[in-house]
Amino acid sequence: MLQDILSPRKALFESGAHTELRGQNSRNRRVVLLNGDVVGNVRSDVSGVSARVYRGGVYGFSSMAEYSPDAARTVLKAATENADFMDRHAGIGKPALPVLPAKTRMTDTGINDAPQKIYVDIAREADEYIAKKYPNLASRRVIAMEDSMEKLLVTSDGMDSHFIAPRSYIYIVLDAMTDAGTPVELYKPIGGKGTFDENFADPSVLYAGIDELYEQIMQKREGVYADAGEKTVILGGIMTGMLSHEAVGHTVEADLVLGGSVAAHNLNRQVASELVNLTDFAHTAFGETCPLPVYVDDEGTEAKDVPLIENGILTGYMNSRESAQHFGMEPGGNARAWSFSDEPLIRMRNTSVHPGKDKLEDMIASIDDGYYLIDSTNGQADTTGEFMFGVSMGYEIKNGKIGKALLDTTISGVAFDMLKTVDMVSDNVVWCSAGFCGKKQPMPVGMGGPALRCKVKIGGR
Amino acid sequence: MNKITILAREILEESQRQGADYAQCSVSESEKKEFNVDGGRFSLMRTLYNRNVTITVLKDHRKGTIQINRFDEDTVKTAVRDALDAAESGKPDPAWEYARGPVEQDFTEGQPECNTDRLFERTKELLETIGKKHPKILMEQMITSHDSGKVIYANTNGVTYRSRWGAYSFSLMYSGHEGEKSTSFYGSDVMLKTLDKPVIDCGFIERDLAMVEKQLDPKPLEGKFTGPVVLAPYALSEIVLWTIMGNFVSDSCMIDGTSIWKDKLGETVADPRFSMSFEPYSDDVIVPSRYTGEGYPTENFDLIKDGKLVSFCLSQYGANKTGGRRAGNDGSSMIVRSGEKALDEIIAGIDRGILVMRFSGGSPAPSGEYSGVAKNSFMIENGKITNALTETMISGCVPDMLMQIREISSDTLKDGNGSLPFIAFDGVTISGK
Repeated sequence: MLQDILSPRKALFESGAHTELRGQNSRNRRVVLLNGDVVGNVRSDVSGVSARVYRGGVYGFSSMAEYSPDAARTVLKAATENADFMDRHAGIGKPALPVLPAKTRMTDTGINDAPQKIYVDIAREADEYIAKKYPNLASRRVIAMEDSMEKLLVTSDGMDSHFIAPRSYIYIVLDAMTDAGTPVELYKPIGGKGTFDENFADPSVLYAGIDELYEQIMQKREGVYADAGEKTVILGGIMTGMLSHEAVGHTVEADLVLGGSVAAHNLNRQVASELVNLTDFAHTAFGETCPLPVYVDDEGTEAKDVPLIENGILTGYMNSRESAQHFGMEPGGNARAWSFSDEPLIRMRNTSVHPGKDKLEDMIASIDDGYYLIDSTNGQADTTGEFMFGVSMGYEIKNGKIGKALLDTTISGVAFDMLKTVDMVSDNVVWCSAGFCGKKQPMPVGMGGPALRCKVKIGGR
Repeated sequence: MNKITILAREILEESQRQGADYAQCSVSESEKKEFNVDGGRFSLMRTLYNRNVTITVLKDHRKGTIQINRFDEDTVKTAVRDALDAAESGKPDPAWEYARGPVEQDFTEGQPECNTDRLFERTKELLETIGKKHPKILMEQMITSHDSGKVIYANTNGVTYRSRWGAYSFSLMYSGHEGEKSTSFYGSDVMLKTLDKPVIDCGFIERDLAMVEKQLDPKPLEGKFTGPVVLAPYALSEIVLWTIMGNFVSDSCMIDGTSIWKDKLGETVADPRFSMSFEPYSDDVIVPSRYTGEGYPTENFDLIKDGKLVSFCLSQYGANKTGGRRAGNDGSSMIVRSGEKALDEIIAGIDRGILVMRFSGGSPAPSGEYSGVAKNSFMIENGKITNALTETMISGCVPDMLMQIREISSDTLKDGNGSLPFIAFDGVTISGK
């Protein structure tokens, strides 16, 4: 656990400038089994200290790969010099950031570190389960991983905090051959917040997920191409989460609004059907702890929920302290940094569409000719709101019934157009918190949502 | 260099003392000076002091790897122990193999010294020039930096490389704006050894900015047709080149047997005009990668030559697992051979098709089938670019496309990492509203 060597350095903060001093330890564990061979077996521990100073509308930042009082002094000095350089050459004379009340949120909790053998043993157990039960697969990969971060933050104003965020997953990747000899692939992450030994104390928690994935890939190997064009579809909860994050969430990050995103001209306008409500949750959503809870951000802002769309109307942006000052909004704790050497950027936390009142089976029954899209490989969105998601698993819907599985395809649309076509919202929310959001730095995020009935463009033949 | 050389030697000795059959380490110290522009104005200056130690050990043919960023004796000893623990928890695999010495080489690459004031001036000049020449462009984010470092690679087989390196990088992300109209965002990147000329004249920056400015009034494409698609260098990489690398020729897909090219060595896989190579020693590369992750010295190599698959991109481990041959490098510094015609001439020969500058698509299937959105794209009609496009999807299959190359441009993007042309492919499905 990081010892507090930072609080005494507050005496070195320059008056009249907002200053943050952050120590961080990031650790990564990864074991990769390819058809039973250990092809990756890596442990990584990276720590250091950084400082950021705000003056005249510009920031100076510095970091050092060492967590020590000397390193803290060095980065404070360098960050202050950088802020002075920028203020002198490119400053815009903005006033100081509004002062936040001084608070403290310290914990004495560290992160338990399981030996590498645990990762190998559990990955091997999963691999042997697959190899024994499903010998007809073309190949199999099992990836056991944990990435965890611990941060200690002291600021010139706002909340001083100690924060830990462990998460761990096992990715199962299966490949099968079609009768024509063409490979098809599916993968599934199993896990979530918590350390590896907590999440996988009993490896049998993996078996149901493996069985489901196998069943899906057997359907996919007999899958059909989607018919290209605009279609009525049901997006499953994972796909809705991707939509919440990629297609809407990024466009309402205040730095991207300032960079010209479509949301700049749509605040307080109807951007979605009245059935759509969307929030970036800090730590608690729908009565439960979020997949990746955030209590304080890396600028010392206490985290709170940020409503983004209410009854179809765009109501807010996600902000840093600086952008909140610009837009006259309250910062909600969205400024987060990935590594000790990274500055805080505006990032999502746990972004989800709220559940509605419809039953999934009624939604499927309501479609004569369309698709039920349940899982995604990746997603990208434009600042215009135009989005694209890879669809790795989905089904035809014919006459209100689930039909054949689909081969890989993509869907696309323009978020604020497509969301206006939402006419049914299911009553349950599915979350996903594996993977990373990319934006100068990677960042773990949670995204979720109910199933939505809507119209999107689907690729295919 | 002395400090990290001594540390590397101590790590190897400690690894052998603790029982490793083989050990290698990479020890580095690096520094970054960086300026950020956000929303069209300067926002941040960063100075980063970083270091890294990566240790890999073999014990009874079992491998473990540790990465840390501390240099003190206790941490290093613990890291070696952790690496051995990781190895001992694994399964023996005799395919792990590393370079053998004696080899000892020193390199200096790029520009290790940073002129911070000059970097700021060139950044400011670039921002001001874009503001004057391209007033409809809003710079969402521009990151300019100088990265430099010292690194030593050493292994217990007697191989040692020491290098100093450095380079300037300019990364721009921007879009066009006029009132409430805006274009898709686009990115231009370039790596430079010197700052002796205005940055707007480097790579495709000026050309890209002008193209994006023309995308403010896009029209949707009506219907669906199969036709020629001209892929600009970044779109070519995203759709074709990285699919070749990830799905057809690299360790992972060759070892698990899912590569559909696994039995095609020596066979024709592309139009005879298509050649793709990896050339760290090309004049177009600022910081060449001098050795592989397994310690072998790199050399240029051809992957596809005159349409024939002449190599896979295998590591020594991948080669041992598949019975293949180790490639000349890890797959860095990609070069696709340019053609005879200028882009304008290629477009002039197309009756109906599209030009795609960027692609936003799902991960291509192992078969090479893909679909996604054609971003920052233009309609081509009767040999001319007529209008920008919105909401247009393209789909196809990379192996089929490689056999249906229409033209390869003489214009090439040289961004400091390699050289890529525009390529026009026939037979791609293009669908609009």
